[in-house]
Amino acid sequence: MLTEFKNKFFFAIIAFFLSVNFANVQAESQTAKQVVETFQAELLAVMQQGKELGFQGRYKKLDTAIAKSHDLTKIARIVIGREWAKLNEAQQQELVDVFTRLSIAAYAYNFKEFSGESFKFEAEEETTRGGVIVHTYLLIPDDKDVKFDYMLKKKGESWRIINIIANGVSDLALKRSEYTSILKADGFDALITKISEKIDNYAKQ
Amino acid sequence: MVYHTQNKKSLLQVLSMSLCLSVLLLTGCASTTGSIVSKDDPYEEVNRSIFEFNRDLDDHITGPVSTAYDFITPDFVQAGIGNFFNNLKDINVVLNDLMQGKLLQAGEDTGRFLLNTTVGLAGIFDVATEVGLEKHDEDFAQTLAVWGVPKGPYLVLPILGSSTTRGIPGYIFDTATNPATYIPVPIRALEMLNLRAQSEGALNVIEEGALDPYLFTRESFLQSRQHKITDGESELEDDLDIDALLDDESTDVNQENQLNLGNSGEFKQASDTLNSTESSLEKTSQSFDELSDRIDELEYKEFKNKRR
Repeated sequence: MLTEFKNKFFFAIIAFFLSVNFANVQAESQTAKQVVETFQAELLAVMQQGKELGFQGRYKKLDTAIAKSHDLTKIARIVIGREWAKLNEAQQQELVDVFTRLSIAAYAYNFKEFSGESFKFEAEEETTRGGVIVHTYLLIPDDKDVKFDYMLKKKGESWRIINIIANGVSDLALKRSEYTSILKADGFDALITKISEKIDNYAKQ
Repeated sequence: MVYHTQNKKSLLQVLSMSLCLSVLLLTGCASTTGSIVSKDDPYEEVNRSIFEFNRDLDDHITGPVSTAYDFITPDFVQAGIGNFFNNLKDINVVLNDLMQGKLLQAGEDTGRFLLNTTVGLAGIFDVATEVGLEKHDEDFAQTLAVWGVPKGPYLVLPILGSSTTRGIPGYIFDTATNPATYIPVPIRALEMLNLRAQSEGALNVIEEGALDPYLFTRESFLQSRQHKITDGESELEDDLDIDALLDDESTDVNQENQLNLGNSGEFKQASDTLNSTESSLEKTSQSFDELSDRIDELEYKEFKNKRR
């Protein structure tokens, strides 16, 4: 009886570890393409329920969707270039925080309604520096397709988006020129104030 | 054919030489100011003034007119007007296809023009896109780029907006080959108004999202132009060197070196004459600032009058 129980217990533990491990393997093995497609599907879902969710609702849903698909810490770092090294740890953390909130708020504000949009995967290519570019199109009914190229890098074992290029316009490059110029001209506090203003504006409308 | 190529070559040489010269001279002049942030934008100060002027103009005149136009003009009419002017532009697209050696595309675009002009009732309906003849985006500035003419510094032109030095001959050629230019009635004002009304969404994105609307406009313009010139085959690789971007020490030094080139050797002589150009540019900048202020003042007075 006891041995039977022991055996059962043993198998339960094995099963538990196996399942945990299996789940881990699944999460790890999500390819760059899958990361992009999961994010796009979640974005479309938010757009579809855009009106019912309201800004706060969209923000909440996108918060999780963006956190598991984007590497916002790295994006924030690249955006301010070598100014990053001049910030102390608290400032770096503050920048990453407001930058994250701005990115989510911008999504929540700009993707608020749905009019039949969809994403189409085109190709996936590996870059020489160990990244992956996932080429997709945003299809808008009665309008020209918009080319969306996602650039991903590995963060630990999983792929994360670090740049989005829409019709050849790189989000990272745009932000980089804005942020570095404000940092150089007006300093860190001014940059944070400006970003915070933008977040408030998005939330108001 | 031989004559044609030779002719094209000499035209090309003259054009690229004169442009190269102007670019070098202008950068030489710019390097004397000593406050350069971007190598693409040595005239940032003047450009910003004109940008602000354009924005003020848009806030107080073009914008309200466009809103009114948008209010009274149904979407399908706006689309029709847009199509009509786009169809006239297709003549220029065909010419530029040919000049860039895109023969197949030239054939498609000729088909587009003929189909839209006839079946599409003078271009009001874009039937060509419906049957799979996609609209191509070509202009003379792109052709110059394909021929190897450097883009030159970024410029903001009054009313017309973002451009580069290469964009100016581009604009002149494109205007000359557009039949709408030769209609005695200022019909192109309608084109611009229609375009402004249709760009409302994009302009809002800039106003709401950009921390610095000037830089946002400049960077997206330059990148978008590059994308069009290479027909979407832009060098994404540049962006990919993330590790270099994380600790980029080299770029700024390179930029400064490039900008200082203009002041060395044979271009030194020219720099004196160009100093005067620079001061005149500064004056232009000031006068645009003043104009902007005046527009603001007028707006304020109007506001005060209303309150009374």
